[in-house]
Amino acid sequence: MNIRPARVEDLAGMQAANLQNLPENYSMKFWLYHAMTWPQISFVAEDHKGRIVGYVLAKIDDQESSEDPVHGHVNSISVLRSFRRLGLANKLMLASQEAMRSVYKATYVTLHVRKSNKAALGLYRDSLGFKVDKVEEKYYADGEDAYSMRLTMTD
Amino acid sequence: MSKALANKKVLPSREAGLFKELLNLYEGRQLKKGLKTADTILKKFPEHGETICMKGLVLVHMGRREEGIDLVKKGVRLDLTSHIVWHVFGLIQKGEKNYEEALKSYSQALRFDKNINILRDAASLQTQLRSYESLVETRHTLLRLRPNLRQHWVGLSVAHYLNGNLKEAKVVLEKYLATLKNVPSHDVEQSETLLYYIHVLEELGEYTEALSLLDSHSRNRDIVDKTAISETRARLLTKLSSPEASEAWHTLLERNSDCHTYYLGYLASHGHPIPPSTPSHPDPDALALISSLTTEFPRARASKRLGLVLSEGDEFKSRAEEYIKGSLVKGIPSLFSDLKSLYTDNAKCTAIEEIVERLQVEFKDASSSPKGSEEPTTYLWTLYLLAQHHSALGRHSKALELLEEALAHTPTLPELHIFKGRVLKRAGDYWGAAACVNEARVLDGQDRFLNTKTGKYLLRAGCVKEAGDVFGLFTKKDAASPGVDLEDMQSMLYLLEEARAHETNGQPNLALKKYMAVKRIYNEIEDDQYDFHGYCLRKFNIMTYLRMLKWEDTVRSQAPYVTAAVNGANILVASYDDPEIVKSLAVAHEQLSSTSKKAAKKAKKKAAVAAAAAAKMGGLDGKTPQQHSNEDKGLEPPTAKDEDPEGLKALTGEGTPVLEQAWKLLQPLLEVGLEENVEVWLAVYDVAIRRGRYLQAVGALEKAKKAGGEEHPEVHVRVVDLKQRAATLSDLKEPVKSVLEEAIKKLYPVEVSPETFNSQYLQKHSQDPKAVIAAARASKILNAPVEEVDGTVFSLLNTDINLSVKVRSPSPPLFHLYFRSDVAMCTMYRTPWSP
Repeated sequence: MNIRPARVEDLAGMQAANLQNLPENYSMKFWLYHAMTWPQISFVAEDHKGRIVGYVLAKIDDQESSEDPVHGHVNSISVLRSFRRLGLANKLMLASQEAMRSVYKATYVTLHVRKSNKAALGLYRDSLGFKVDKVEEKYYADGEDAYSMRLTMTD
Repeated sequence: MSKALANKKVLPSREAGLFKELLNLYEGRQLKKGLKTADTILKKFPEHGETICMKGLVLVHMGRREEGIDLVKKGVRLDLTSHIVWHVFGLIQKGEKNYEEALKSYSQALRFDKNINILRDAASLQTQLRSYESLVETRHTLLRLRPNLRQHWVGLSVAHYLNGNLKEAKVVLEKYLATLKNVPSHDVEQSETLLYYIHVLEELGEYTEALSLLDSHSRNRDIVDKTAISETRARLLTKLSSPEASEAWHTLLERNSDCHTYYLGYLASHGHPIPPSTPSHPDPDALALISSLTTEFPRARASKRLGLVLSEGDEFKSRAEEYIKGSLVKGIPSLFSDLKSLYTDNAKCTAIEEIVERLQVEFKDASSSPKGSEEPTTYLWTLYLLAQHHSALGRHSKALELLEEALAHTPTLPELHIFKGRVLKRAGDYWGAAACVNEARVLDGQDRFLNTKTGKYLLRAGCVKEAGDVFGLFTKKDAASPGVDLEDMQSMLYLLEEARAHETNGQPNLALKKYMAVKRIYNEIEDDQYDFHGYCLRKFNIMTYLRMLKWEDTVRSQAPYVTAAVNGANILVASYDDPEIVKSLAVAHEQLSSTSKKAAKKAKKKAAVAAAAAAKMGGLDGKTPQQHSNEDKGLEPPTAKDEDPEGLKALTGEGTPVLEQAWKLLQPLLEVGLEENVEVWLAVYDVAIRRGRYLQAVGALEKAKKAGGEEHPEVHVRVVDLKQRAATLSDLKEPVKSVLEEAIKKLYPVEVSPETFNSQYLQKHSQDPKAVIAAARASKILNAPVEEVDGTVFSLLNTDINLSVKVRSPSPPLFHLYFRSDVAMCTMYRTPWSP
């Protein structure tokens, strides 16, 4: 098992893993845009055959004003069901957070999670230390609410 | 130029002012106002080419495409020396993804004005078309015009790099870096530029220089990407055979001890290179190194797993037991997939079986006693692992037995149902397999992974509609159908599996539709890169950009495209050989369409409701979008209505002849490094020989033979086919004739008749089912009597033939196969296959 920065050659595998796992999907241009804009902060997990079994796709958010500190955002993260219990999601998140901080000097990270997704909520809150910032009503296309979560990163 | 003509082109100051305004309105996409302004000018100067072009451009944006394009063309004719008209024409062609023609128009425009915007667009087009020599020229011009823009320097360097001139790439970069003053520390753009510079030096083999730059710039924090710094450093030190290399690899492991490649780098730097993907490479010294890393990074699995490759015998057994036991206790579902690559070493495979069987006994006792030391789930995962083990070795009944025990123990673990499905699938029971996977799905309806698996398995069983219903639980509700959403989201899995299902169901026309959809997605992916040619230079993200260009160059060698192209071409070739196929499909469709018309009506109604809802959400209050004429529809043509939803027209060659369609699918595969792929060259042969491209055909067959070996069943069929066809060719011209004769001699070196050649082949390979089928097909090509062909196929029923092959054929004899005990679970032959 390999955890490493995502490269362009991984995008097709990341897109396939996303389609297999999650209801929020994106066409290749969106994946390319992330790789061409913030090439250092997305990561993949691959098995010994080089198949992508998990990924985290991250970006640096636009600053709303000059006082708003630089911060990262996790767009999408998932691990194939058959590769769970290896701690991959945790490792992917940590790798991405470290890169956001060291390359872009990001001071905090945000993400959205479905209210019903207990497993993911547990990972973000209990293992990684995210806190619920607010609830965004009907955030998802199917009408489900999202927790907007935030992790402050300090040196 | 005559005075009258000149006057027509130069507007008086009032109208010239209006024209400027028109350009500004267009830039701000104030389309309605722009149109009005254009009309005001044209009232006085109806023949003003530039205004006509601009009006056309505005109309295209407003969705009045045909009218707009006619005006643009008219405007160009009226003012052939204006850079504006050519620029506009180029924009339209670019919108149509006609990059070649667009570049020609841009070049015309540049003859009359070296405008920065036109130059930049031209550079993007040249990159898209990989015309790197002209790209260098364009970037040179840009730099000369605006040397103060940083991206122009980097742009020129990148152009040299792409054109293969690394030295110039370096020279330009050095000049650029020397001009920089007061670059702030910790600047991401500068950091990426320096990483590109170091990469150029590395490519030039100037490792020492690259390393010292890397070190000094990372100390100053000019380079901020720590992973890139450490990786580049380790790589350069390794290339320099420096004693510091192992320390550099160790630094990487400290950063990320879950990266397999870092371990390999570390071992190699100690003089222990490990060949990639080997199941066994016993090396006690390397093992000792790995052991100390395991102590240092106890949570990393990568080093423990590597230990299984580097050990053998008892050492392997004890390491494997610890590894397997630990994983079972943790309940890691991917354990078998992780271990499987060791199975090519027989001793390791046997050892693993022994270990797991021992653990099965141990955990059974432990989990059944009330004060058991292990969780009951450990025993469950052991049964799961053992079932996977036996299934991989073809012992389906043993695998099922273990799974039944596990399911009796815990019926709610989705993994067990999924794997049971997989075993049944391997045994040929596709319906049973789909049912099992569906049980997993209903255990956790929120999990799309289980949903996707179920859809896939239903498609393997040929149940297209049922699969769509299952997929639809997760696809967008406003999509016309689940399939439409999955296609929009570029799901290769869905498209290829559904295509395969249609082929199984005897509907090659529908399969071809899906294969063509895959082709369209790859066209999109190639178009996707366009916007990044300018964007990445502005962002200075050069390394990732260079990787993208390289990736795009060979993107069609990806498995989904290859599958779609080869299978699509095969369908088209079959319909070329036998037009009856399409005729009977058309008849079947006619019969069906009376019922499906009702369904279509229903779907139409549903789509109308969805559209109304979408319009409401968009705040349009039911107004049709056309009324908002300021809405920008862009320059890309809208997707045309599908005039061939059943794919029957494509299959009859209406519009484009079938062989041309097939060739278009295969052509991109010729130059993307697929020399080893026998299927590709067989398909190329099949199409080329029918198109009368004989030299191309023999060239492809030679490659197929090289990739698959001369005894390859499909190669054998083609060699016979070639020999047979060559006998009927009489009017070939030189030099084609003699080159072809030479090539045939090489492919068919024997002096015997094709019939003898074929029966010798059959005799030699009578145990191999694929070869038997191939021989039968060859005798059909040689016009042998039906009884003889059938007889060859029938010989498959002899029990000494190893039926490791899936045979799909409408031939009745095959339905009897299920009476053979070794394929007893296979259901695919039990229902007559009806096209």
